[in-house]
Amino acid sequence: MKQRSWSDVVLSVWGVLVFIFLFAPILVIIVSSFNVGRLLVSWQSFGFDSFLALFEKPAIRDAVWISVQTGFIAAIVATLLGTLAGIAMARHPGKWVWWFLGLLLLVSVTPEIVDAVALLPWLVFLGQDLGIGLFNDGIIRLVIGHSLFSVAVVSYLVRARLVGQEGQLEEASADLYAKPPATFRRVTLPLAMPAVLAGFLLSFTLSLDNTVIAAFVQVSGTTPWPVYVLSALRSGLRPEIAAVSTIMLVLTLLALGLVAYVLRRAGDSAADIARTMGGG
Amino acid sequence: MRKSAGVALAFPAWVWLLVFFVAPVGMVIWFSFGYKPGIFGTHANDVLSFDRYVEAMSPTFFATFQNTLWVGIAGTVICLLVGLPVAYWMAVKAPPSRRGLLVALVMVPFWTNFLVRTIGWQVILAPEGWLSSALQAIGLIDGPLELLYTRGAVLLGVVYNYLPLMILPLFVAFDRVSGPLREASKDLGAGRWTTFFRVTLPLARPGVVAGVLLVFIPLMGDYITATVLGGAKGNMVGQLVASQFQTAQNWALGSAMAVLLIIVIMATVAVGAGLVWLVTLPFRSRNRLVLGAAEPSARSKPVEEVAV
Repeated sequence: MKQRSWSDVVLSVWGVLVFIFLFAPILVIIVSSFNVGRLLVSWQSFGFDSFLALFEKPAIRDAVWISVQTGFIAAIVATLLGTLAGIAMARHPGKWVWWFLGLLLLVSVTPEIVDAVALLPWLVFLGQDLGIGLFNDGIIRLVIGHSLFSVAVVSYLVRARLVGQEGQLEEASADLYAKPPATFRRVTLPLAMPAVLAGFLLSFTLSLDNTVIAAFVQVSGTTPWPVYVLSALRSGLRPEIAAVSTIMLVLTLLALGLVAYVLRRAGDSAADIARTMGGG
Repeated sequence: MRKSAGVALAFPAWVWLLVFFVAPVGMVIWFSFGYKPGIFGTHANDVLSFDRYVEAMSPTFFATFQNTLWVGIAGTVICLLVGLPVAYWMAVKAPPSRRGLLVALVMVPFWTNFLVRTIGWQVILAPEGWLSSALQAIGLIDGPLELLYTRGAVLLGVVYNYLPLMILPLFVAFDRVSGPLREASKDLGAGRWTTFFRVTLPLARPGVVAGVLLVFIPLMGDYITATVLGGAKGNMVGQLVASQFQTAQNWALGSAMAVLLIIVIMATVAVGAGLVWLVTLPFRSRNRLVLGAAEPSARSKPVEEVAV
């Protein structure tokens, strides 16, 4: 057994402290969700009342439902566009790839607030000035706003996955007389699958989390959950907000567990998983 | 024919991003050269000028830009100082079997609702909250905690919110620096600290760069943290832009501020990169280490030592 030096001990203590720091507000929210009182900040007594709000208050239920719907549609759109773009970049390289990567880079470095203020007048222009009714629909507006960053993330993930594996399998498939669509469906897509799944779940959580763009592009009647919380911030926070957040945290953890499971089955190490989740 | 069919796969993504990203952002840039006509108009572009940029740089708003830059730089530096030892510990010191769990733990707050986490801090920092009473009980502070709704609270909030974005790339980078390399350095007589600063850290540089960018860029545009924890004293540019569009209805000025924000972010990154290059110049020539490009396969590449 190697003797642990003082610097190792300091490092471990520091690591544990930082983990406590990272989890402190989450624990506070979980504890607050069992608060039976009028206000989130002042503790009254223990109880499960606030969890009932999800069933009793239509505004909360609707907001969560809108968020889940938007998350799914945005994730499907982003995964579809991103997967196709990622495959194109990895398998058909050329000068255009640099232009496309440049665009993706621009999308990922533009602050959300700028996307938000840009989309608002643009959607009004498309929906009202040009009269395309599609863009007045609340869910479609949210999906558009939420998908921008996710398209970039999925494209990076799929490209990274396929660039790592050369195109020999596709060539072999073509040599064995598979038509291009069959090769695409039976060789390329399965190869890209772990990245596609990770991208889908990432897009879903990113959409569920999106507050800034959602607050700008939403129309009344389709308020997603984070925007509901943001408006509750002004009128006073109640424990039911913590309760719904706790439920959503549990669901997010399940989704994360699924990603890790899929990636591990595909044989990735912890560092690879981190790299994939970190989007690079 | 097959080639063009392949490139066409990217076509839907091109169209989507051009219509919903390039066009709207282009429109904002166009608005920024216009002006606000009367009380009820939001923007007009019949006379083009740089006046909105001058207005956005007037003393009232300039203070907010300064404040944002301060929070952005201080927050990024603190994230780096806090995150670097943690990432090193996770990648090198923690038992390998537990690394996956630790990575997952770092990601849990990352994927919990941003707004709700920040509200968690609002609860913790409240003057009548438990942290305040605990600190008063120990005698560290005399009165109630007066951190909430100050610039300090915003700084704490952004460090908290963006720390996982710093730890993850650093972890990946340290994980790539193989153990044998460090052992070799020690065998050649380097101490623990020399090994860290002259072998491990230089090899982990891509991770440091990625972490700093991943934290600094979204931090500068932050809107939520400052709104929840900042109150009137901790204003950031994100809120300024939002209020020009939502309450003041001055889209021209808001657009100019948004464009300025992007310019400030890019300029700071450029200046920072230049400074780091200058400061590390003497060290790099002293180190005489030519590092293999930090590709994923870097762990198998030999590190060549070349006399300069």
